[in-house]
Amino acid sequence: MSAPVTSRRSREVQPARATMRGWKSILKLMAAALALWLFLDATTLQHNAQVSPVGIRRTVALDLLGPIAAVARVTQVSRLETGFNQALGRTATGSGGHTFVVVLPPAASTNTQASTGKAHPPIHPDITTIPPNPMQNPTAANPVRVLLIGDSLGLDLGDSLQNSLASTGVVAATLDGKESTGLTRPDYFNWPAELASDLPKVSPEVVVVMMGANDPQAFPSPSIQYGTAAWNAEYLRRCIAFMKLATSTGATLIWVSLPPMQDPTLNAKVANINAIQKEAAAQVPNVIYVNSNPTLAPAGTFQPYILSGGQNVNVRTPDGTHISPQGGALLSQQVMGIMRTKLGIPLPG
Amino acid sequence: MLFPTIDFAIFFLVVFSLSWILRPYATPWKLFMLASSYFFYAWWNPRFVLLLVAETAIAHFGAQAIASAKTDRGRRNAMVVAVVVLIGILAYFKYVGFMAVNVDNIARSVGLGNVIPLIQPTLPIAISFFTFMAISYVVDNYRRQLEPARPIDVAVYLAFFPHLIAGPIVRGGELLPQIRRRNDGQHIDYARATELIVRGLFKKVVISSFISTAIVDPVFASPTSHSALDALFGIWGYAVQIYCDFSGYTDIAIGLALLLGIKFPVNFDRPYAAIDLQDFWRRWHITLSRWLRDYLYIPLGGNRGSQAEVMRNIMITMILGGLWHGADWTFLAWGFLHGAGQVVGHVRRTRRQAAGLPPVATGHLRRVNQVFWTFQFVCLAWIFFRATSFSNAFAVIGRLFSGWGAPTNLVTPMVVLAVVAVIAIQQVPVNFGERVAAWWSAQRMAIQVGLLSLVLLGITTLGPTGVAPFIYYRF
Repeated sequence: MSAPVTSRRSREVQPARATMRGWKSILKLMAAALALWLFLDATTLQHNAQVSPVGIRRTVALDLLGPIAAVARVTQVSRLETGFNQALGRTATGSGGHTFVVVLPPAASTNTQASTGKAHPPIHPDITTIPPNPMQNPTAANPVRVLLIGDSLGLDLGDSLQNSLASTGVVAATLDGKESTGLTRPDYFNWPAELASDLPKVSPEVVVVMMGANDPQAFPSPSIQYGTAAWNAEYLRRCIAFMKLATSTGATLIWVSLPPMQDPTLNAKVANINAIQKEAAAQVPNVIYVNSNPTLAPAGTFQPYILSGGQNVNVRTPDGTHISPQGGALLSQQVMGIMRTKLGIPLPG
Repeated sequence: MLFPTIDFAIFFLVVFSLSWILRPYATPWKLFMLASSYFFYAWWNPRFVLLLVAETAIAHFGAQAIASAKTDRGRRNAMVVAVVVLIGILAYFKYVGFMAVNVDNIARSVGLGNVIPLIQPTLPIAISFFTFMAISYVVDNYRRQLEPARPIDVAVYLAFFPHLIAGPIVRGGELLPQIRRRNDGQHIDYARATELIVRGLFKKVVISSFISTAIVDPVFASPTSHSALDALFGIWGYAVQIYCDFSGYTDIAIGLALLLGIKFPVNFDRPYAAIDLQDFWRRWHITLSRWLRDYLYIPLGGNRGSQAEVMRNIMITMILGGLWHGADWTFLAWGFLHGAGQVVGHVRRTRRQAAGLPPVATGHLRRVNQVFWTFQFVCLAWIFFRATSFSNAFAVIGRLFSGWGAPTNLVTPMVVLAVVAVIAIQQVPVNFGERVAAWWSAQRMAIQVGLLSLVLLGITTLGPTGVAPFIYYRF
């Protein structure tokens, strides 16, 4: 074929030099290198184990890594890794997968940035100079400031919503999301602290939140098992506190519910999370609770496809959990509709 | 189980030790390797081990039926049945949802209403890879290039964990003899294996992860929010990301197999140094390329026949090659672009040969020019491969024209360095890693241990917390 071909010769990896060794010797080498790396990287590995889901794997990992990390700290070996991180301008615990993207209308584009956990840039050089009430008459020079936050499902919505809001030309949308996070494990990712950090930088008129699918797990400290009344009470308390924080600067909070899940067990847990979040939203002023089912699951159960404009649209990804880009776009339209009708923001388009 | 995890490191240390202890004993070694490979696969979803077992059974009994058939027609029928069943399984899991929704949409548009149930089966990880290997095993038996192997051999061939998830797509003729051979374990090319594993980890954990989060994901998530330069580097960045991701996986897979005494074929050979698309497909995912050639392109007629027939064969092969990657119109478009590009290349080569010229222009400047434009065409096609929809792809392309003057914020010095370095290093036909590995292997063991652990520390520190799955896992 003149097309996708390669030589008919078998092209194998050939040893080009005398670098052979017996397996026992290699085993010693690999085991020693891994053990030394484990020692050098022990503090980070210990942190990663601490923030992993509660269970036997976490317990075993912490039991094994605890003494190693302690020795690494006593002997100052952990400084090597700390120095590595400091040279890179990062925290030792890292923040991979952290999305922080600011998008401004063209006339207000003084600073946009996508980063992986770096210091967040202010939207405007001097936020106090922004005229009030952009909600009533948003323009490119005086945009509505919207903060979008969430976990991986929140990012599924946030990516589309940020794009749709940006296309209006009168919204400055900031997306702050991190996969595998929620309100149950602030030891892994502290959303209240993150939000408290975002609010003065973004000064949002509207905050949109979608998260919770990772939350059905035990609270580690104090230990409260998921599925108990105590867990529900504690989760309600955290949701209320988070909602109060989000609205503390005068912003309106739009809280988007999680869609049904394909896995029955996860679906039951998500239903519980939704019920608690809805209860919390009812107790905090300036919170609009948005049920995503009319868009993503009109039948009230998991649906990979929905009818939109007379055509089937795939709204969920094959994992049965996440929202597809098309689903994210449709949900964005629902949220923007809420912004127009309930908040009275005259968004173009 | 992902390669760059502690879970896998522990798993591999145990498997490596027991594998070499059991290697002198053929059947126990095969049973152990099969159990290890199924455990590795079950880590993701135990249910689908049954699917792997089912495909193994189909390949085995298909080969047996071919061998026992009395006539050529019987052999052919047995081969066709086995291949159709294997393709049917792949089609159900991978394409039924896509086909159903498109058929239903057409029916709705002509007023027929809902005519077909819409389902979206969970896609078993790596099904495209092990199904293609199973098909090649059956067809090679039919072509008398292989003799039917024992069931345990077929099972290990299909499930051997280093290649199981994302290739290389190894042929029966390459792997089965190595499975049967009893290696002594005293002559393992550990320096080469270590260099491949470290290189693969660096590509995946450091470069691919960085490029992905720093520029590719933001550009493709919200193309209209970024400048033309951001979009351009986002597209080039995706070329770098997918190369580092996929070739990184392959490097690790080849290195791990080498430590277990098994040699895999090369799967990548500096693809962005290709001088045309034909050359690109000799360098990119080589084992898929030769699979498409031997089991699709040549049976279609290959280079035989009229120029129109050759063009048709190229287009069919590349479009189906695109669909192999995923059930979406964007993958089909990716295959179509590569097919169309190769058709143009084929016509050009034919005309040059008819005029008494070499098929490809020679000369250093001409070569640089061809490498540059081939890379740009490959990047254009990658846009459709990465985009979530046609509108997303065209938004990215449109930004290349409309985004000049917008503020550029994603193109940082580190992004430029990573993109340029990965592309530039492919233009140099020297493997620096091999030289470093040769030097490293000449050191005393204590120094080797220290250096290796420091390199691992560097990779884990430079990489993000938690590693995203390899892009090719979902194929």
